[in-house]
Amino acid sequence: MSNFSVGFRSSGGVTILDLNGELDAHTASELEAAIQKCKDDKLVQIVVNGDQLKYISSAGLGVFMAYIEEVRELGGDIKIASLQPKVFNVFDLLGFPLLFDIVDEEKEAVLKFENGASA
Amino acid sequence: MPHGLLTDTSRRLRELDVSSMFRSVVLLVIAIAGLVAGIGYGLLRWAGQIPDLASIELAYHVAIGITYVSLFLLLSARYANRPESIIEVFWSPVAVGIAFLVVGYFVSRFGQSDVVPQLVASSSIGFDLDSGRPLALASVFKMNILALLEALFCFLLLLRLKNLALIKRTMQSQRQWNWMIIAMVVAAATTFMKPPRFELNLYQSIALVPAVGLMMVNAFRTAWIVSLTFRDKLLVIALSVAILGILLSIGVMEEAIAFPNKLVPGSYTFLRHYSYPLAVFTNLCIVFGIIYFTTTILTVLFHLPTTSAYQQKVHEVAAIHSLTDLVGHVFDQSALFDTIAASPVRASLADAAWLVMVARDDHSSPQVVASHRIAPSRIERLVDSAALFEESRESGEPVVLSHAPADHRLDARPGDGIGSLVAVPLSARGETLGAIIATKEVSRGFEPEDVEALVVYGDQAALALDHAHLFEERVEKERLARELDIAREVQSKLLPQQLPEVPGLVLSARSVPAHEVGGDYYDFMDLGDGRLAFIIADVSGKGTSAAFYMAAMQGIFKSLSQAAASPRDFLVSANAAISQVLEKNTFISVLYGIIDARNERMRIARAGHCPVAAASLSGEAALWRSEGLGLGLDQTGELFARTIEERDHALQPGDVFVLYTDGLIESRNAAGDEYGYERLLAVLKQNRHEEAEGIRAVVLDDLDQFVEYGSYGDDTTVVVMKWHGNR
Repeated sequence: MSNFSVGFRSSGGVTILDLNGELDAHTASELEAAIQKCKDDKLVQIVVNGDQLKYISSAGLGVFMAYIEEVRELGGDIKIASLQPKVFNVFDLLGFPLLFDIVDEEKEAVLKFENGASA
Repeated sequence: MPHGLLTDTSRRLRELDVSSMFRSVVLLVIAIAGLVAGIGYGLLRWAGQIPDLASIELAYHVAIGITYVSLFLLLSARYANRPESIIEVFWSPVAVGIAFLVVGYFVSRFGQSDVVPQLVASSSIGFDLDSGRPLALASVFKMNILALLEALFCFLLLLRLKNLALIKRTMQSQRQWNWMIIAMVVAAATTFMKPPRFELNLYQSIALVPAVGLMMVNAFRTAWIVSLTFRDKLLVIALSVAILGILLSIGVMEEAIAFPNKLVPGSYTFLRHYSYPLAVFTNLCIVFGIIYFTTTILTVLFHLPTTSAYQQKVHEVAAIHSLTDLVGHVFDQSALFDTIAASPVRASLADAAWLVMVARDDHSSPQVVASHRIAPSRIERLVDSAALFEESRESGEPVVLSHAPADHRLDARPGDGIGSLVAVPLSARGETLGAIIATKEVSRGFEPEDVEALVVYGDQAALALDHAHLFEERVEKERLARELDIAREVQSKLLPQQLPEVPGLVLSARSVPAHEVGGDYYDFMDLGDGRLAFIIADVSGKGTSAAFYMAAMQGIFKSLSQAAASPRDFLVSANAAISQVLEKNTFISVLYGIIDARNERMRIARAGHCPVAAASLSGEAALWRSEGLGLGLDQTGELFARTIEERDHALQPGDVFVLYTDGLIESRNAAGDEYGYERLLAVLKQNRHEEAEGIRAVVLDDLDQFVEYGSYGDDTTVVVMKWHGNR
């Protein structure tokens, strides 16, 4: 039934969440659970890879809004990478690039964390 | 006697009673006339006024036959109905039998001194040996009275036995009963016109065989005994013995050679003088009575030990029945729980019982929800109900503890009243809902049949619980659906019911809600001086919360529009206002603008919303995508105010603006493709010459065409504004 899944990877101290499928009101809870788990495990340097994300609804965007503040307070961040153009457009329409670090490549996001951490 | 004549008011019933009463009266008249005529005949014979002619004798016997058939029919109408209780059937034969013996005792001794004792039977009671003519006046009356009394008693006996033998009747039993009566009548008829001193010969004896044979068959129709209580069975034995005593005292085939010791001496001989067939028939009735009550006594004796087992079965059935009844009527869950816990005790299956249920939604440990004959606190202290439930759930079988105090899950000592215990799982549709735990004070208290009965009962209880749950779910669902309907109705009222009229501007709008209540909103407000404010908004997410925020957005639009100098001002204020109430993961995308018809200008600002699609008369169509965050994304408002852009546009006649929500763009066809911006712009460009109404219709039609068997992703709202110029 669910056509959405979240995969976990890590690169150094950075946790990478691979989103796959369609993120809408029905599947938002899965991403919520994934980010909550990162937070519980004190893994707050999170990169969300949207390479396989086909669709995102406003409820899906809401998940990022729900956690960003807490994650930043814990000294981490949620960076978004590799979005498909159509999905990026949804982020962009709402002005998410003003609030989130949205980059083209996953590597770039990881590098930003590493540089930030060493700095 | 027609009874119920006074109580029944129904006309049809009354007519029926009238006709049956008429029949009774006719029969009664015939019977009385026949009886009087019989006495008259006897008197005339005694006086020697009637010659011993065969024709006169024939007329007499026919008349007597008709008289007693009438009497029998009269009585059978009285006793045709099924008796109210079994015991009731016994009383009338006992009472009438005793009355017959008492009356007969005195009547038979009346005038006895006239006759010479110790002679042959006939002469001894006052009849001529050869002709059978009465020799004394007393003999005539004694004969008539005794014959009537004995016949009445025997008829009553036979009819009452019919009531008993035909309980749980079948075609066969009914037929066998009728054949027995026919055989008895035939046997009696073989003695028609025989002189009183005639003794039964081989021919008559053979005629008796089928009658007696059928009596034996009918004597075993004693099914009514099974359902009697122990007390009633004892009563039946006592009454049967009494009737047997009466029947034996009357004397079967009593030849009355030495009758002075009999209670009613010579009754049979009197009867033979009165009417030989009647004498044989009454004797057959007495014989049947003796056979029937003998089998009754024996059968009851054999059934006495099984009475309690039978009664228990009755209780079990009653318990299950009460439960199925409950499913139909009571949807009060706690009442259902109580009944389920109480029924095993009421059915005498246990001394105490309680019901353990698991909560449906969460995985907390099972709880005792109802108990009978044991306090919940005692259960808590003595028994680990949850562990017993788990074991019965895992095995799917009842857990039987013959020596309950020895089990580690019980903290009961022998004096605590729990000697043995059974836990029966309650399963419905593959799910274990809970368990019934039943206890007895004695150890080894539960026989395999008891456990089996509890399991059967448990299945019924599980079904009842499941039904009640389904019903509850349904009610809840309907309640939610009703509330959703109300919410949808209220929400539709939040949208403008009438579009404002501004010279030079034509408007058209339509919002198509998805299945649930949604978060789409559009509105207009006349600001005066030819200025019109317009808004379109979309709350993120769906459902009730989205609907509430949409209502909040409407309030903000109504209250802030008038005061806001520009779209940017409005959106900054709106962001500040709405951010306080929005949840963290919720935001609202808004497009807000002001059309100044006098100055032919439009100012518009976008807060995260889908860009307005604009087309000019010349055929240019474009999305106006200005910078701007959605409301609620920047709670401080600083970034919001800093980034939001405003566009100022000089209106040209023929300008068309389409405002819409993402439901339009994101609706997908069966192949999974989105409607998209390009297609919207193409349709707009092609139909820009249409009126606002027409453009709106074309866009929605095109969407329908595109989606076909796909789905509208969301609420879909389309607002079209067309500027014609103010001249």
